[in-house]
Amino acid sequence: MFLNQLPKIAKQKLEPMLVGGFLLAAASLMLFSLSEPTARVRPVNPALFCEEMVLPKAQLSGEQLAKLLTVPEPAARTKVQEILKQPYCRLPSLSVRVGAITDRDAYPLAFDPQTWLVVLYEGENYVGYGFKRF
Amino acid sequence: MWDMDLSVFKNALSAVLVALCGVVGCTNGLPPEPPRTLQIQQTWELKPGDTLAGHRIIGGLGDISIALSGDKTLYAPLDGRLQPHSPDCVIFSSEELPIYLFRLCGVQNPHWGQIRSREKLGTANILNLAVLNRLSDGKWAFVEPSKQIIEQMLQPPNTAFMPTP
Repeated sequence: MFLNQLPKIAKQKLEPMLVGGFLLAAASLMLFSLSEPTARVRPVNPALFCEEMVLPKAQLSGEQLAKLLTVPEPAARTKVQEILKQPYCRLPSLSVRVGAITDRDAYPLAFDPQTWLVVLYEGENYVGYGFKRF
Repeated sequence: MWDMDLSVFKNALSAVLVALCGVVGCTNGLPPEPPRTLQIQQTWELKPGDTLAGHRIIGGLGDISIALSGDKTLYAPLDGRLQPHSPDCVIFSSEELPIYLFRLCGVQNPHWGQIRSREKLGTANILNLAVLNRLSDGKWAFVEPSKQIIEQMLQPPNTAFMPTP
């Protein structure tokens, strides 16, 4: 008789626990999404920052990135372009200091498409890189 | 029914968070911007923030001094980040242009943190602007800023050169 009642008692106690657990999980999910709105993955819109599209299929592999990181700055532009190949697009060139135009090529990372590598050239020199997070 | 309850709950939670931010002065719940430190290659004897004969130095060798007219607003020349640097100066940097830094002294009402291109950086009566170029040893050197980049910081978005179509 006792054995027959056990599942019923367990079931009775389980229901409010399940509802409570669901509410707690929902509340913590919402808190998380409210406090970290940027953590959600959004599609990148290259038209917002690209000035000239070059090769929309271009992506940078981890191997190419590792090779770039071994190149000291400044280096010959051609040496870096040999490693990276054609960019996805070009950002607007900038004149920041008198006498130099900074050209900027952009590549999405194959292993993290929300992050783009921006490669900087001035004249025939490669002068640096940065990572743009979306 | 659940959907309705949850949306009510979410709205209530948002209201509480907004009210809390109003009281404690937070920006989207993000921590305040950490100060940006940097090592400048040229070690001038007098720098902004120094005192001489009881007077405060507000600009130094390598700065362009600009008396702002009109609404005295400064704009971000590209997507970037504004951080405190010293009591008188702030640093604007960009991950799209990491080889340059902009040191702005005399900025009031700074908009700390991530700023989109052409958004307001702050205001200034007298702006002392320096552009620094990163050297291979990681130090920063004063360079001569171009007219174009200064114009982009001074002109409101509708009249300035727009980098994207």
